[in-house]
Amino acid sequence: MVRRSLRSRSLKRSQKKVPGGRTVTHYRRKKPSKAKCAKCGKPLQGVPRKRPSDLKKLSKTERRPERPYGGNLCSECMREVFRKKVRED
Amino acid sequence: MATLTVGRIAMKIAGREAGKYCTVLTAPKDNFVQVTGPKVLTGVKRRRCNIEHLEPTKYKIDIKKEDSDNVVMKALEKEGLVKKLGLKKPSPEIVKEAEKSKKSKKTKKKDEKEEPKKKKVKKEAKKKSSKTKKKTAKKKK
Repeated sequence: MVRRSLRSRSLKRSQKKVPGGRTVTHYRRKKPSKAKCAKCGKPLQGVPRKRPSDLKKLSKTERRPERPYGGNLCSECMREVFRKKVRED
Repeated sequence: MATLTVGRIAMKIAGREAGKYCTVLTAPKDNFVQVTGPKVLTGVKRRRCNIEHLEPTKYKIDIKKEDSDNVVMKALEKEGLVKKLGLKKPSPEIVKEAEKSKKSKKTKKKDEKEEPKKKKVKKEAKKKSSKTKKKTAKKKK
């Protein structure tokens, strides 16, 4: 029986063949999904695919692009937002 | 529609300065224009900018080609655009500091060139001193 903490279904399993000939299950944390643009749903660039605890270890500039709406909207959607703002005035 | 001409107020829509207003200083040439905030007012540095990264507004101020930041600032105040665009007029202290830093940067560059030579001399001196120390240690043995 495996360790209790490893019985969680939120762990990803993989079967590995060991040099000794046995097959062993390896456990590891699942990767979170890619960050997506809130407007068009396109995957965002410059946003690392890591768990929140690992993201916390990065510096703020490594976590998202350094522009308004960075890490929330893609660059094209951000441009649209500002274009609209200027044209409405 | 508004066009990008000298004195046109535009908004930057790309990069870290996106969403900030700036003033166009030159007519477009090869898709680029010279642009300034001024930096103390809006945060846009005086720099070259691609036309596609700018969105012109309906406002325009009366300036000449490539006027200095101070002239642009005064023109903006005269037109009452500082209030209209919801900007905050920087205090005279900040303006002074910005000018000072500009000057100090120029002087700093000169200093940097001189400094490394001195450091090298110091390092050599250290090496010599360490060697002499070793020698003295051996002698003691």
